[in-house]
Amino acid sequence: SGKLDLDEWKKVMRSGLQEELSETVSEPEELSGLAAARETLEMWRLAGRAVPESISEDQLKTFMECPSKSAKKKYLKYLHLKELYKKSEKRKMDEKRERRQEARDEAAQTAETKKSPFVCLWSSTMDRAYSWRAAQSMVFGQPLVFDMSYEKEMSAREVANTVTQMVLSESCNRRAADPFHIHLCNFREDSLYHREFTRHYRGAWDKLLVTVTEQCYTDIFPKDKLVYLTADSPKVMKTFEHDKIYIVGSMVDRSIKTGVSLARAKRLGLETAALPLDKYLLWSTGAKNLTLDQMMRILLTLKDTADWKKALEFVPKRKYCGFVNKPRKELKKTLDLINTLKLGKRCEGEKQFAKTYPKKYKLK
Amino acid sequence: VQPPEKPLQAEEWNKLREEFQLPEIFEEVMLKSMIRCNSPVDVAKSLLTHVAKRNGDIAYNVLVKYLTLCVQQGQVSEIRDVYDIMKARFKILESGAYNLLVKGLSNSDQWRMALDLLEEVKKIMIPSRTCYESCIKAASRHQEMKLAFELYNEMLAKDVVPTLGVLQSFFDFSRGVKGAELQKELFGILLYLRENQIYPHKTFMRSIKLWFESIPGENWKGRLTKIKDSGQCPVCNHQLEDSNLTEEEYSNLSERVIRDVIHGDDTFRKTSPEELEAFQTFVESRLPFDIVIDGLNVSHIKSRKMQCENLFDAINCLAKDNARLLVLGRKHMLTNSSNWKREIMKEMQNKADFFFAENISEDDPFLLYATLRSGKHCRFVSRDFLRDHKACLSDSLTRHLFRKWQRGHQISKSLSSVFSQQPAFRYDCVVQTTGDTWHIPYKDVFEEKYSYQVPRKWLCMQKKL
Repeated sequence: SGKLDLDEWKKVMRSGLQEELSETVSEPEELSGLAAARETLEMWRLAGRAVPESISEDQLKTFMECPSKSAKKKYLKYLHLKELYKKSEKRKMDEKRERRQEARDEAAQTAETKKSPFVCLWSSTMDRAYSWRAAQSMVFGQPLVFDMSYEKEMSAREVANTVTQMVLSESCNRRAADPFHIHLCNFREDSLYHREFTRHYRGAWDKLLVTVTEQCYTDIFPKDKLVYLTADSPKVMKTFEHDKIYIVGSMVDRSIKTGVSLARAKRLGLETAALPLDKYLLWSTGAKNLTLDQMMRILLTLKDTADWKKALEFVPKRKYCGFVNKPRKELKKTLDLINTLKLGKRCEGEKQFAKTYPKKYKLK
Repeated sequence: VQPPEKPLQAEEWNKLREEFQLPEIFEEVMLKSMIRCNSPVDVAKSLLTHVAKRNGDIAYNVLVKYLTLCVQQGQVSEIRDVYDIMKARFKILESGAYNLLVKGLSNSDQWRMALDLLEEVKKIMIPSRTCYESCIKAASRHQEMKLAFELYNEMLAKDVVPTLGVLQSFFDFSRGVKGAELQKELFGILLYLRENQIYPHKTFMRSIKLWFESIPGENWKGRLTKIKDSGQCPVCNHQLEDSNLTEEEYSNLSERVIRDVIHGDDTFRKTSPEELEAFQTFVESRLPFDIVIDGLNVSHIKSRKMQCENLFDAINCLAKDNARLLVLGRKHMLTNSSNWKREIMKEMQNKADFFFAENISEDDPFLLYATLRSGKHCRFVSRDFLRDHKACLSDSLTRHLFRKWQRGHQISKSLSSVFSQQPAFRYDCVVQTTGDTWHIPYKDVFEEKYSYQVPRKWLCMQKKL
């Protein structure tokens, strides 16, 4: 111990610098463009903000093109999280690989070949079976249309999300017992959609068992058979009809642009329908528009079973409190109770209820 | 964590650090709590010394935390030392550190250094509004008003929005100072408030009043007042600007409402082209109306009553003096139901013109169109704030016009048992001047709660000759 020299840290900091400074003598240059942005990012990272550790040239350019400070922050946070996910993914993969290696080593020690009466079904065999079904659906299956005309309404990020959801939907459909014949209508070769699709599927894109066309669905199918599915529709779907052709808008809508797909259907004079979410579910939070793969699963289940309860299992659990099995008055009580417990406010719940179950004039 | 009261030795810090659950962030957490408790700088210094000895370096975020503590306590020499160290150690700094440095230095007698720092920041990025605020306040505190205004104009040129605090400080520090140039600049600030429809809060208003009254050689007198419904100021009997838009503003607004609110990027979203055309021919053939009523909105005023009865009451009440009424509704109102009785609907249709939109169309855009098309005298009835329609307008200038027009033309009705009209404002609620009078609306509280609410209190400044 002894007397503390409180300013000693300054000496340490300065002494370390002397050496560094002598290394880089001709320092004060004007930073420009990308280098300056990189430098700023580095400082933000040091200051403990949500910033990725490494950033590519392209990302840096996107960052600089962000129109506002908050847009920049948001973009960096997105990159940061992406980096974190990637890292943890990689760590998990490594651990898994190690474990597998260990298991293999153990198996090698016991060295015993097991015999099984069943043939091992490899994924390629399964793929062949699925493809066979999909090919059948292309001849005999019920058509399901994805309307690919929403590129203008979306940001690049939203388009990428849309395509991810479409890829998921396509894979669910392929695995289904009785798949739909998927039509991608209004699809343009030079579109962002196309670019994203080829990024996902690569070579498999051309071998995909779906119909891709530049034509509009109204040119392919009779108008009276078409039903446009949209959450904004005033009509509620009662049953799934096997002779109808349902249209789903390929749009991810983060900014809640209401009425975009309804407008499309109105323009073409098509019938519209919304899922009967309020009839079967006690809705709690979130928008009523579902993701494309959820739609696909719901439609597939309806097609197979016509059971709404089973189909609506695919609505995310966080969005509803439970299935409707009591009269509305009791429901209101339950919902109020849930909201008072959850939020600690009563009036909020009532408002929410009025919103979810509006008066007659709105439903009409 | 509770920060210690006295500087600690290295061993003591080590012990504390080991007891802490997450030793990696111990310094940061400790400094944070020091900032919260406003601990003596010496304690923080001893922590830094301990870190420097252990690692041979101190991380940037720890230095920034220390800087925050120094700024909080106005330790100018420490701020300068930290700045020197940071500058030598890093090529550039980020905005948080710059904000702190500028703030810390501008409050000291070395405030000119803050200006130099501001110059440095400008080379890398657009300085934040707090940076400008500190510098402007420092300059005006030292009576360098010219410099302060230069910075202020520079800030506006860069689209950095000044805080009310900055604007207020100009008035505070110009008190009793003579100068035509200065006066012009301050009037410029008042006009800035006018253009952006900003209402000063009470203390800001007081600063304005005191400045006016302190102008040497000019005999200004300020009084607080409320404007009469007629738009007359009770103090000076001056008639305030009326809420009507100019011809140009008016045609501009109606054009924009049709383009942005009704059509938007797709006419089908709110209506359909056929319906819009039908509506337009309908309106054109019966123009002009005196009052346009949002039927569905009005029909929900009293929930106990039948919806058509509510509407009926409203129409009866408004149909005095041969006023020409237009009621907008939806087609479902025509089907006989428990809420919409056919006989009552028939009777209403004798008293007013009705237009029924499709059930899935929006009726508000039609309401706006019909009112605007009827001319300046026409008003509309709705309790809706029309926020979503305002939001459809593409630029802020038109949105301001929309609000101004709305204030002057919307009748919203109170929920009381008697049907009472809340009158539309006849006068415009913005900062205004005639040369020897100024009328400045102000808010009692600092925060402005709702954009559609306007203050009822005014400052009346009058130059006595």
